[in-house]
Amino acid sequence: MVLELLQSLSEMQIVGELTVLSLLVGGIIMAGGVIIAKIAKLLFHKYYAPSLPQDTAKNISKLIYFGILIISFLGFTSSQGIDLSGIMVAGGIFAVVIGFATQSVVSNLISGVFLIVEKPAKHGDTIELPDMGITGTLLDIGTFSSKVRRFDGTVTRIPNEKFFTSNIRSLTTSTVRRADVTVGISYESDIDHAILVMKNEILQTMPFVLQIPEPEFRIEELGDSSVNIHVFVWHPRDDWSQAQPILLTILKRALDKSGIEIPFPQRVIWTGKD
Amino acid sequence: MNAMSDDSKNIFSNYGIYDLGDDLELSLPNVSIKFQRISDNAFSYFRENSEGKIVEKIIPVKSNDLKIELAPIRPLNYPARRTNHVFLKFDKEIYLSKNSAASIFIHCPIEIGIFLIHDSNYDSLDWITCNPLNSRFGLYGSPDTGTLCKYAQVSLATGYDDSNSYVEGVMQIVVENTLSFGQTISKVIFPITDNALYYQDSKTILEGIKITMKKRAAVNIADVKPTPLEIDWTMSPTWEDKVSSTPMEMDLE
Repeated sequence: MVLELLQSLSEMQIVGELTVLSLLVGGIIMAGGVIIAKIAKLLFHKYYAPSLPQDTAKNISKLIYFGILIISFLGFTSSQGIDLSGIMVAGGIFAVVIGFATQSVVSNLISGVFLIVEKPAKHGDTIELPDMGITGTLLDIGTFSSKVRRFDGTVTRIPNEKFFTSNIRSLTTSTVRRADVTVGISYESDIDHAILVMKNEILQTMPFVLQIPEPEFRIEELGDSSVNIHVFVWHPRDDWSQAQPILLTILKRALDKSGIEIPFPQRVIWTGKD
Repeated sequence: MNAMSDDSKNIFSNYGIYDLGDDLELSLPNVSIKFQRISDNAFSYFRENSEGKIVEKIIPVKSNDLKIELAPIRPLNYPARRTNHVFLKFDKEIYLSKNSAASIFIHCPIEIGIFLIHDSNYDSLDWITCNPLNSRFGLYGSPDTGTLCKYAQVSLATGYDDSNSYVEGVMQIVVENTLSFGQTISKVIFPITDNALYYQDSKTILEGIKITMKKRAAVNIADVKPTPLEIDWTMSPTWEDKVSSTPMEMDLE
């Protein structure tokens, strides 16, 4: 019964020597290839990827997946008796035509390859793309586009060509980072005393602030209402949230405790009658 | 071992192994610790530090017996574990003339670990610091390629007995200058994960290091290597996962 069915399928020609049976065999090979590729990728992710750097793991995973798919495709073509050399010649001419038509797609593809080779940023790095106003965590460098998760939780897809040609500021490459704020004190206040007060408060209440290099205080400006002091502190790169967002609070509390005035703009108006 | 040590009129718990029984209270400078049996198979753990931070945990147990060990550990955990290296800045510089060697003792900051003991296995339960103000970070090198370290300013000690209980242990540093000129040394940076700690009552000793100032090709460097210690004090369990560190090389000023 089954043999008879296969026999009849092998006799049903579609185009040239291509029969329904050979197409079925080819489909099984391709489907098997896809399943094997998915399983291999899954096993790799489960047993090997955790011990590798995130970006290396993702690249190897893609290599395994697409490698098995290509082998399956070659198996499919040979099962159909398709001569690839003919396709190569025709494909060369066709590729030129397609190349012009899909220039940006190819450009994104090539840029993706360059991004993987050059590695201006790794998966999981916090990066800033100043040209595009995007800051967030790099999730993936894909075939045609890259994905960045912004701090508000949304994910932005960036075409690889744009990503590759834009300025990329990595916020997690260096061992330490610097946070800075500006604080104004009144003209009547002793600058040295104010700096000492702020420095002591930082060293006592901000354990993530580095003591070497120590916090730095620069007189930035003799402003309209205040002497503006620019404060710089260094912190471990992963502890930005323990420095920048709380620095102003700490400094204001220190100045308040010492009775040092933080002035606000005031204008004295003299009328002509006075 | 449930001894107590007298420290400036305050009575604090010594390092060592404690049998929990039903309840146990431990007292350390600025820190209080309480274990309480809450059922046949569980204990509660409560700890409050000088900053008012409270940690509470439930500890399920298989048997009625539960032991803990209070022991000094390396100063790497407060405020968060970020590095294996320490940066010790000497309060006084040390000058070594050419082709000479010296041995000094310094106070090295420590933290205190609390370990659960199950069938001679040690589990890390909690860690504390009795002196958070002397537990800060420092950078050795440039911001992009430098080494992040735990930073502390340290003073010279007179010997192994000069340990400051619960806060600082004593470490021996052997400095050798093989250069053809005198050299001043004011700091040392090294991975402290290679140095074991030993305790007795409330005192702590750390394995030492050897600093060799030498010329390599055209540059002068200080090679820092740990030196083993043979002492009859009790060795502290290891808090951190085992990590292998490469020997440290410092640039000379």
